[in-house]
Amino acid sequence: MDIKFALETFLSLVSALPLTIELAVTSVALGSVLAMLLALSRLSGILVLDLFARAYVFLFRGTPLLVQIFLIYYGLSQFPAVRHSIFWPVLREPYWCAVLALMLNTAAYASEIIRGGLLSVPHGQVEAARACGMGRLMIFRRIVAPQALRQALPGYGNEVISMIKATSLASIITLMEVTGVAARIISETYRVIEVFVVAGAIYLAINFILTRLVAFAEHRLNPQSRPPLAISGALKGEMQ
Amino acid sequence: MNISANLNAPATANVAIRVCDLHKSFGPVEVLKGVSLEAREGEVISILGSSGSGKSTLLRCINMLEVPNSGTIEVAGEAIGLKTQSDGRSRPANQKQVDRIRSELGMVFQSFNLWSHKTVLENVIEAPVHVLKRSRREAIEEAEALLAKVGIADKRNHYPAHLSGGQQQRAAIARALAMRPKAMLFDEPTSALDPELVGEVLRVMRGLAEEGRTMLVVTHEMGFARDVSSRVVFLHKGAIEEEGAPEEVFTRSKSERFRQFINS
Repeated sequence: MDIKFALETFLSLVSALPLTIELAVTSVALGSVLAMLLALSRLSGILVLDLFARAYVFLFRGTPLLVQIFLIYYGLSQFPAVRHSIFWPVLREPYWCAVLALMLNTAAYASEIIRGGLLSVPHGQVEAARACGMGRLMIFRRIVAPQALRQALPGYGNEVISMIKATSLASIITLMEVTGVAARIISETYRVIEVFVVAGAIYLAINFILTRLVAFAEHRLNPQSRPPLAISGALKGEMQ
Repeated sequence: MNISANLNAPATANVAIRVCDLHKSFGPVEVLKGVSLEAREGEVISILGSSGSGKSTLLRCINMLEVPNSGTIEVAGEAIGLKTQSDGRSRPANQKQVDRIRSELGMVFQSFNLWSHKTVLENVIEAPVHVLKRSRREAIEEAEALLAKVGIADKRNHYPAHLSGGQQQRAAIARALAMRPKAMLFDEPTSALDPELVGEVLRVMRGLAEEGRTMLVVTHEMGFARDVSSRVVFLHKGAIEEEGAPEEVFTRSKSERFRQFINS
């Protein structure tokens, strides 16, 4: 392996890292809002909303992300109505097409993760909150959401990691993020191994940091699953 | 000495809770078939009955955790408004009123239902601070006094998962008391506890009774019903089968079913 070449490649690929991260952050952020709406629709008990959310998840979870990207980037522009709509300045940009596809896709998975989190909160705790005179919104904010978040965090961490990797598909529609730049360097140099090893290492590094962040957040958010604090230990010590 | 003798509330005391001709069905099953009940201030009423008799449902109707099909419920003289929906089901006419009345009643559940992401102290101050809008400092002071009263002051910073069942239930009682309720509703508070932990919870409840609190207690603890309550109500198949002062009903009940129930 040519270290000097690998280093040059690394520098070129790192310069594409901001785009990769931007794609991931934007689509995960927008997708989480949509996911929350979908999860609430599923649990709303309103049939129309429930069916819509079910159909949505079925569709976007059941088809490949790459197909969704192609349909949005190449497919939508086939319709004159789309080209003449106010959305065209956005939809003709490959960047926004990629964000849209990633966002719609992650929302389907994340909505199920959030729904699982919401369902994990024991009903008795909600009843206790109602019995104290809390309104629906307050119960959601103070009792259900914090516990659902804790429950959903490991699964959501997985989903974000998937999204980081999924941004590589955006290279197919001309975006020069890490994988896009890697593909270009390969087409210029034919040195597949060095370039893809470096590209893979970059994704690995991002996801390593991400994993640590999720683990840290989990630790911070779950004081109740840690053993009781030092005070009880000190008391035990005194008794001996 | 029989405590209940001092507790028999004078007939002139205000009515804390009045339930009138309550009917409740779950699907085709009629659980309550016209129950009427009156609790005066300072009274401790034990509600007895075998499982399926409707005693928990009766209690849960009082703070609208179950919405009755018909009948009226008054708390401190204020009737809870109900309306019938187009599908024939009834629901509270005014959710704000229900929320306010709930905040005036303390409820203790069989399975404690402490909020597991909050410490004991946070559990106790949650509703006073966020529902009653009391200041946090004041709420903490009061909560600490209540936790001392139920005997778990040293557990204030523990999470519910680190407490025994008896400690959790005492924390739940403190949480209910923190609302300064007009009446307390206990839904089988000792039924989920190991036998050796029942006593500590009953002691706390006995203390509350001696303070003159209005309490409605669904229970299987015959000793508590006999010694602490001022009145015993026995439900059978959704209707009141026997009712009266404990010394009276426990010694000379006219109801064959009640005699069977207490002897079984």
